[in-house]
Amino acid sequence: MTRRDHALALARRGQVITAIALAGLAGVFIRALAFTPIERTQGLAQKIFYVHAPSAWAALLAFGITGILSLLYLWLKDRKIDSIAAASAEVGLAFSVVMLTTGPIWGKTVWGTWWSWDARLTSTMFIFLLFIGYRVMRGAIVDPEMRARYSAVIGIMALVLVPFIHMTVYLFRTLHPDPVLLKPSSPSMPGVMLVTLLTSVAVFTLMYVGFVTQRYAIAILRDVREEAASAVS
Amino acid sequence: MSSFWTAALTIAVKDMKIEWRTKTAFASAIVFAVLVLAVFYFARDPTAVGALDIAPGALWVTFTFAAMLGLNRAFLLESENRAMDGLLLAPIAPSAIFVGKFLGNLAFVGVVELVSLPLFILFYDLPIIRQLPALVGVIAMATIAFVAVGTLLSAMVVRTRFAELMLPILLLPFLIPPVVGAVQLTSRILSQRPLSDLAGWLKLLASFDIIFVILCFFLFEATLEE
Amino acid sequence: MKRVEPALKAQGVTRRYGHRVVLQDVSVEVSGGEFLMLVGHNGAGKTTLIRVLAGLLKPSAGTVQRSGATGMVAHSSMLYDALTARENLAFFGRLHGHNDPALIQRVLEQMGLAPHGDRRVATFSRGMVQRLSIGRALLPDPELLLLDEPLTGLDDTAAATIREVLHDLQQRGRAIVVATHQLAELVDLASTVGFLVGGRLAGLEPVAGRDGHSVMAHYRELAANV
Repeated sequence: MTRRDHALALARRGQVITAIALAGLAGVFIRALAFTPIERTQGLAQKIFYVHAPSAWAALLAFGITGILSLLYLWLKDRKIDSIAAASAEVGLAFSVVMLTTGPIWGKTVWGTWWSWDARLTSTMFIFLLFIGYRVMRGAIVDPEMRARYSAVIGIMALVLVPFIHMTVYLFRTLHPDPVLLKPSSPSMPGVMLVTLLTSVAVFTLMYVGFVTQRYAIAILRDVREEAASAVS
Repeated sequence: MSSFWTAALTIAVKDMKIEWRTKTAFASAIVFAVLVLAVFYFARDPTAVGALDIAPGALWVTFTFAAMLGLNRAFLLESENRAMDGLLLAPIAPSAIFVGKFLGNLAFVGVVELVSLPLFILFYDLPIIRQLPALVGVIAMATIAFVAVGTLLSAMVVRTRFAELMLPILLLPFLIPPVVGAVQLTSRILSQRPLSDLAGWLKLLASFDIIFVILCFFLFEATLEE
Repeated sequence: MKRVEPALKAQGVTRRYGHRVVLQDVSVEVSGGEFLMLVGHNGAGKTTLIRVLAGLLKPSAGTVQRSGATGMVAHSSMLYDALTARENLAFFGRLHGHNDPALIQRVLEQMGLAPHGDRRVATFSRGMVQRLSIGRALLPDPELLLLDEPLTGLDDTAAATIREVLHDLQQRGRAIVVATHQLAELVDLASTVGFLVGGRLAGLEPVAGRDGHSVMAHYRELAANV
């Protein structure tokens, strides 16, 4: 089987996974809107939570996997690892955009403010910014081997940085009491809501896997095409 | 003294000698620092916000952005005539190059800070002679943090397109923990409050220093051409 | 007879940038007293080969072994413009573990730069920079000297000095590799000539008294066949 066939097979597998995940997402929407009770204090706005929290989870997962793959790349120097890390970062960027848009919509109704410098929100915003830096860096390097190494360095540095940012905001907040109307403490959610949320988390994880598989397949196809082009010249 | 430290110090001293001789970088970083300090002084409503309230933030924005001017140049010196190749051909550990550049950058930023700190005290009229040692300690801790990360990143961005744009984008997220910590500590020092309730920030700053200096030291080799 | 370890031994060297193959399966061996001339058009892989042989680039496949210290002269001078000639030599000398002002003075004299030792490199002409660059490469008293287009853009005096130095090194049993596309000036010194065509070593032959014209004619023949 040629690399091209392999990539096409992989892309198809990614499409199937994504299709299942999207069907699951429709299911989550229906369950969240029609079969999960409205939260008493937050009202309808709380429904956003079923998209917001899972997308935050998927972004964090993507970030962690990119960081770990970066470490593996520097160790094994296998270009496949770099391609998967890049795919994961790109998908993570998309999820963090979802997270950063749904967050304020929910926050405006529940917290009474569009944005709050809460530790989790701030950390995830920096994950988003680091993903962008990673992406910009990749775009500025032509040599694939050098691009892989430099991206890996950024991936590892970012992975170590984020806990520090979390701690920084945490320390900052303990000194400045925050102006929120309602503080959502760790959820002592009713069972029905928790099931909906966990289903959504599973669906988003599956969506992440489907997207990364497809993105990785595209990277292989692009590589095959470049190889063919350089063989001709 | 081992050859590792001889090599590192030789590189650091060479960088200082070049910077001292050309003076452009020093001069522009210091002028920049003075300008930012002055701009911040006026960037407030004097009836509502006291100079002391804005001082810690002004100081750290000044320091970090002035440092960025120097860090951008750090590896430019080595890439101009590909002097980096000369360093790599020498029988020295690649990490000695990192330590040398790190010490050189630290000295550069240190000098800029040394010149702008008295101006800062003067401009903002701060009676802080007794707190000065504590303030210098905090400055040293935060400076080590962002110079370590900046040295590593500048070794990479110098070989990419849009190097001057790339450094701030990549470096600024890494400035959040040390600079926020430094601002908090500076503000306590300036308002003459005890440092005891700031153990958390000191710990954060110290652990950031240790972890990132070690991390950058080991990752540097991955930034070299292979 | 006791077999002497060659100063340089490269076997099956291949180098790729992404999918582009710049060098393919190149094997060369150079012993002390030998002078290998690498001939090739621009883009034939000369510079990459010199960098791989120097150890600045890792081969994608194959091995490179060097028996001792290596000096390298490239297109870029690997010197700091803001430092004087003497300071540049002292800096690189220290990195190589030599800290002897007498050695530096000797190198300056050998390269005909003794009167200009305390001038900044920024004020040097192209020929002076190139001579100093060779002086820098000679500091560790290399077993092997690699030169990439050493005579490009030089006046006659500079070219004559460099010829003299190379001849002297060869007499003293050092191995020399020169990559060039204009070989008229140096071919009489060379003992072997290697023909690089499209990243492959198309031929490796003794010079045997041939002049630049006949070597070039042979190169064109080989290039046409590929």
